[in-house]
This record gives sequence, C-alpha cells and structure tokens, in this order.
Amino acid sequence: MTTNKVTFGFFDEDAKKEIRRASLKAVALPGYIVPFASREMPIARGWGTGGLQVTLSLITEEDTLKVIDQGCDGSVNAVNIREFIVSVTGVKQTMATPEATVIQTRHRVPEYPLTSNQILVYQVPIPEVLTIVEPDTAKQKEMHASVDYSKLWVLLYEDTSQFGDSRISSRYPVRVNDHFVMDPSPIPKYDIPKLNNNPSLQLFGAGREKRIYAIPPYTKVEPLKFTDREFIIEDFGDKCCERCGATDVYLDEVHQEDGVHFFCSDTYHCDTNKNEVEDAA
Amino acid sequence: MISTINGHRLEVRSLAKQFTLHSRGGILVEGFRDINFTLSNGQLLALSGPSGAGKSSILKTIYRTYLANQGEILFRRSDDSVIDMASCPVSRILDLRRREIGFVTQFLKILPRISALDGVAHPLIEIGVAEDEARERARIMLQRLGIREELFDLSPLTFSGGEQQRVNIARGIIAPKDLILLDEPTASLDEKSSDIVLELLKNLKERGIALVAIFHDQRKIDRVADKSIDVRRKEI
Amino acid sequence: MLLELDDVSKVYGVSCGNCLELTGDSSECAICPECNAVVAVNRVNLSVEENEIVGVVGESGSGKSTLLQMIYQDQKATSGEIYFNGLKDSNGNKLSLFNLPSGKTSWVRNHEMSMIYQNPHLGLNFNFSAGGNIAEKIIGSGEKRYQIIRDRALHFFGKIEMPTSRIDDYPEAFSGGQQQRIQIAKALSSSPRLLLLDEPTTGLDVSVQAKILDLIKALQYEMGFSMIVVSHDLGVINHLTDLTLVMKNGCLVEYGLTDQILEDPQHPYTQLLVSSKL
Repeated sequence: MTTNKVTFGFFDEDAKKEIRRASLKAVALPGYIVPFASREMPIARGWGTGGLQVTLSLITEEDTLKVIDQGCDGSVNAVNIREFIVSVTGVKQTMATPEATVIQTRHRVPEYPLTSNQILVYQVPIPEVLTIVEPDTAKQKEMHASVDYSKLWVLLYEDTSQFGDSRISSRYPVRVNDHFVMDPSPIPKYDIPKLNNNPSLQLFGAGREKRIYAIPPYTKVEPLKFTDREFIIEDFGDKCCERCGATDVYLDEVHQEDGVHFFCSDTYHCDTNKNEVEDAA
Repeated sequence: MISTINGHRLEVRSLAKQFTLHSRGGILVEGFRDINFTLSNGQLLALSGPSGAGKSSILKTIYRTYLANQGEILFRRSDDSVIDMASCPVSRILDLRRREIGFVTQFLKILPRISALDGVAHPLIEIGVAEDEARERARIMLQRLGIREELFDLSPLTFSGGEQQRVNIARGIIAPKDLILLDEPTASLDEKSSDIVLELLKNLKERGIALVAIFHDQRKIDRVADKSIDVRRKEI
Repeated sequence: MLLELDDVSKVYGVSCGNCLELTGDSSECAICPECNAVVAVNRVNLSVEENEIVGVVGESGSGKSTLLQMIYQDQKATSGEIYFNGLKDSNGNKLSLFNLPSGKTSWVRNHEMSMIYQNPHLGLNFNFSAGGNIAEKIIGSGEKRYQIIRDRALHFFGKIEMPTSRIDDYPEAFSGGQQQRIQIAKALSSSPRLLLLDEPTTGLDVSVQAKILDLIKALQYEMGFSMIVVSHDLGVINHLTDLTLVMKNGCLVEYGLTDQILEDPQHPYTQLLVSSKL
C-alpha cells in the first residue's frame, strides 16, 4: 500500500530533526558554519533550497509565512517558493511584514523592523566568507578556529588603498558576537546595520553547499572595518522612490530606454507607504 | 676552577693546539704547545719566530677562531670577573668580541662595496656612536695612519698592500677595547708607515690597552714590546 | 633565552621506534634500515639568544629546512620540545610551541616570528599586492587602523629600497630579487623577535644576492632581531652569521662560532664541507 499523502512540511520527521539540530547548533555558536545533509528538493539547488529546508523544518501550523526575493513578494521565485510551502503545510501566507512569523528572504532584510516573534530565513549561495581569500577548506577551518581573518582585512586594505573605500557592495563580511566572521548572504551594505542587535532570530541556509548558520536574537553584529574608517552604506542622494516617494529606504535602480528610474526594493513597504501618503492627502 | 690572575688582563696557561685532519685518515698536525704568559694593562707581548711555528695559530686560539686542545685563556673582563675563553660558552665569546677584545688580521677582510671611511667607522657605529661622529673619528684615524684623503671614499680593494694594511689596523683599533690581538701589523709597510703604526701601538699602551702582536723584526720588538715569546716548533 | 630546542626530532613514515638510534651522523643515510622511515631531524638541541645570528649548513636532505619549519610550526615535531621566549602555561611550566592553544600559535607566528622562503610563492600571496602582503603581517599582529597599516607598509617598502609608487603592484610585476625584498619587508613589518631565513638568496644572481644580504644585515643591526639562516652557501653563512650549526643526516654534528667552524672545523663532515668550498 502506498499513499500519495505528503507529510507536513514535505520532509519526514527524521529529516526535519536533523535540520533542526544543525540550526540549534548554529544558534549556539553564532556565526559558525554547521554542515547538514541537504535534501533533494523539488526545485534545483541554487534556487533557495537552503532557505527552504530551514523554513520547512521549523514552520508550524500556527505560523504565517512571507517570502521575498530582493524585497519583492511578487517575483516568480518568491511566489513559487511561497506556494510550495503553503501546499505542503497549509500555513497562512502574507505579504505584510508585521503579520509574518516566518520570513524567507533572498538578498534583502525587510525595511519594516522585525520583532522577537519573527524568524528571518536567508537563502545563501556561498556560506564560507573565507572562500574568496583562501580556497583550501582545511585552512579556512584553522583560520576560523584561531579567529585569524587577516586575509579578509587585506582585501579591505587593498580597496582602501586603491579606491579609498571597500568595493564590496553586497555580501559584506560581518563579525558576529565579537568572534566568528561570516558571510551575511548577498544583502546590500545598506542592510548590514539591521543585523546588529536584531530582535528576530536570523537563520542562514545554503542548500547547494549544505551549510546552516545563525545570528541569535539581540546579537552584536558589526561589519569588518578599520577602526579609523567609517562603514559607509549606499547613499541615494536626493533620489526617492518614484512610486511612493520614500527616501529613507533601499532603492532599486531600474534602467529603461527613457533613463534611470528609482523604486523601493521592498514592495510591501512601498505599498504601505503609498497608501499612507494617499490617505494623508 | 678559575683562579685569580693577580691583576693581569690576560693569563695563558699551558695552551696547546693540534689539528686533526680527518680526510687524511685522522693524522695530527701540531699547531703549538705549552704556551704560557701573563699580560697586564698597557703591556705589549710580542710573538716572534720562524714562519709556520704557530704564531698566528696562537692569536687565533686566543680569539677562539681555533679551539684549544689544552690549557686556559684567562681574561679579566671590564667588570673584573675572570673568564676562561678556551672553555666558556660561545655566546660569551660573541659578547667579548663586541666590546672587549679586538683582532687585527694580517690580510684585509673588508667588503668590496664599502668605502674605506665607512669600513673604519663601522666598529664605532656598532657600539652606538652616532654616524657623523664615527665618520669624523675614522677620518682622523686614517689621516693619522697616512692614508691620502682622496682614497677615503674608495673601496680599499683598490689600495696598495701597505694602504690596505693600515686601513685594516685603523678598523681594528678604532673602537675602545681592553685587549687587541694583531697579526703582523707592520708586515707589508715601509719604514715610515711602520713607524706610524708603532707609535700608534705605543699610544694604545699608554691608554692601558693590552696588546699581543706578531713581529718578525727584533728592532720593532725592542721599540714597543714589554715581553716577547720566541715561538719554535717543538718536536713531538 | 629566545629559543630553545630540546631533543627535537622529525621522522617521516611509521617509525619502528629505534629509528633515531639506527640512523644519525655516523650512518650512511637518514633512512632507518629497519623500517625505512626517514629521519629528517634527529634529536637536535639548540639555544638562540636575543640578537644572535645563527647559520645552519649541511648538504641537501640533512634536515636544515625541516628544522626551520618546525620552529615556525609549519611542521610538527615527532618528538622533543621547542620553547620560545619564556612562554609558560598557567602553572608556570615552560610551554612548548607544539602545545600552544591554536589561537596562540598564530599569535606567535604573526607577532614574534617571521619566515623568508627561498621561493617567493611560499612567502608571498600572489593574489595580494605588495602592500597587501606587508599589510597582512601588520594586521595579523593586531593593528586595525588603516592609516597606521598603510604608513607602516610604506615605511617598510621604503626600507627595502623600493619606490613607494609601486606599493600597490602585484608580486608577479616584480623581479625575483624584488620579490625577495618584498618578502623581507613583509617579514619585518610586524617587528618580529626571530627571523627565519630558508636559502634567502639561492637562485639570485650574485650582485642581487650581495645587495639583499647587505639589506638583511643592515636591518638586523637596526631592529635587533635574532636570525636563523639556512644556506648551503658558506659565503652567505660567513657574511651573515655569528654562530653556525652543521647538520648531517638530521643530526647536529658541530656548533660553534662561524669563524671557528670555517677555519678550525672539528667534525669530519664539517672538514669535508669546508674543504669543498670553491
């Protein structure tokens, strides 16, 4: 006898337990990269399977789900992932950031401040921050163990010497809890300060690379920077969102035939802001 | 045990040296043996004797370039402690060479890319004398030894044998030492230069420095030496 | 005492337990006749004081480089201990470099010691600029202020007599002699107590070799670090060092003042080595 009935959360309980164990270890060692047995998924690796597995392992019937891709709830990938999760769990879905209890994200932190009732799950392409300076994985482990990140600092030094500041625009290395340095996934520099002391639990899943890591709630997170240099985030000058008029948000630069346009990257924030502005008028 | 050496600067007791040539099946070659002397501050001991009798070997053994097979080389340090240079640790010897004991070789050992003046100033700079002052003192020393001014900035490799020898002496005696060993300091010098060097040695003695020097010429020995040893090869 | 080696041995392969006794300076080679393990370093004892310059000579395969690598912790010793600069554990006992907690190991490597390799590819990261390579050592020694790092990198780049305009160039843009100079600047930029040099000028032409040796000597005099120089070139040893140790089949066969080793060698092997000088 076989049955076509899918278990809650797609995975069997043993698989979910294994992912939860890895997640718990990651929470216990903030910024430390924990290996896990990345499962086969109905979507290809590299398309958010890491985040998806973390989400599926911890979501419950009471949760409300939000999925964004570069801040957008409506992009094809976000929609597909959200619908898949809902189809295997039956949880409520939402686009409203404050209503969500689990938010899976690709490359953005929502503009709306998160709370301690929320979990932010990042999709991560390259979990090992040291890959760029040290290809040897054994040496990477030694460097983490001895908290020796001088090679990353050299990148900062070289950029500062030749360009006046770091050229890293996304995936900016951060030091977590004054110890491990980790890759925050390809979020813009703009979002880096939001990682620090954030009330929500932040989990990072890399499906292709089979790694999970975490920033527990209210954890110190600081960008790697020289003590005599400022950490400078993206500055959009006098530009504002052409749709809602917001200026204090991360803007997407859209190149069209008639020139460059700027819009909010976070679509939920843009919608609410637009409504508020219109209501006020 | 090191006994007191009665206020002497240096006392050498039954010093002997032989070389073992392992490539020749371990044959022994006699260097010298049974060398005994004492030397006080301001005294000069002359070593003389035929070529091959072991005069240079004695100097090198005192300086620890050769290892003695037997005997003691008791040296009174500036803090009045007495050390046996034949058996003390090598790091002590390095210490002594830096501050207290000088060696003037027979042939010039100098880098081809360093000028005569810088070469002579170097031992002073090494003990912390400011560079300008060291050069000035080197200049005076070279002038005194009769080296022509236009040679100061050239490498001594281009100098005549006599000039090289004088640069070598200048380098060996410019920094303050308590004991200076000199291997034939007047060997390739003419009468006039020889006289200058002998006068210089007398000055060193007057300043209380103890000297051991190799000479061939009895008249020179008579002029500067307080005592002398005629080194002869003794049959084994 | 800056550095103390206590009966340090390195055996490659599975040892039968008697390798150290069955090989050594009086035997034919360093391969154990019973178990074929290679004894690279055989019970070496050595102490190096502050400011001392020690040369290591011996034929290829005599264990010179392995000895250096163990001091720099590139390799772990099979037996024996290496004590450095009075490092002690919490009970006040002397702490061997091999027993340091891993964080302390990189601290010693970054702060206290530096190594200059014969092959610049070992000593320099060719993906970093010349300045970046120097900066890596300065950063590793704990400095996190950009301006200080940059100024110190420029300072040491000047010290090796290179035009500072080239500091942001990458190593492959420099000649072999210049790459060696950059290694020197990198090695010295953390103001180490001990500098290890493994055949620093082998393969360079003689005029470049002389300049680099002069530079090392001048910087040693100015900064006052201790050095251990491995070289098969007795001229280099004579020029740079005060003390010399002679190795054969992994054993230390003779140790003394450099002029004594060269002029009055005692051990048959040292006599052979010195008589082979051109």
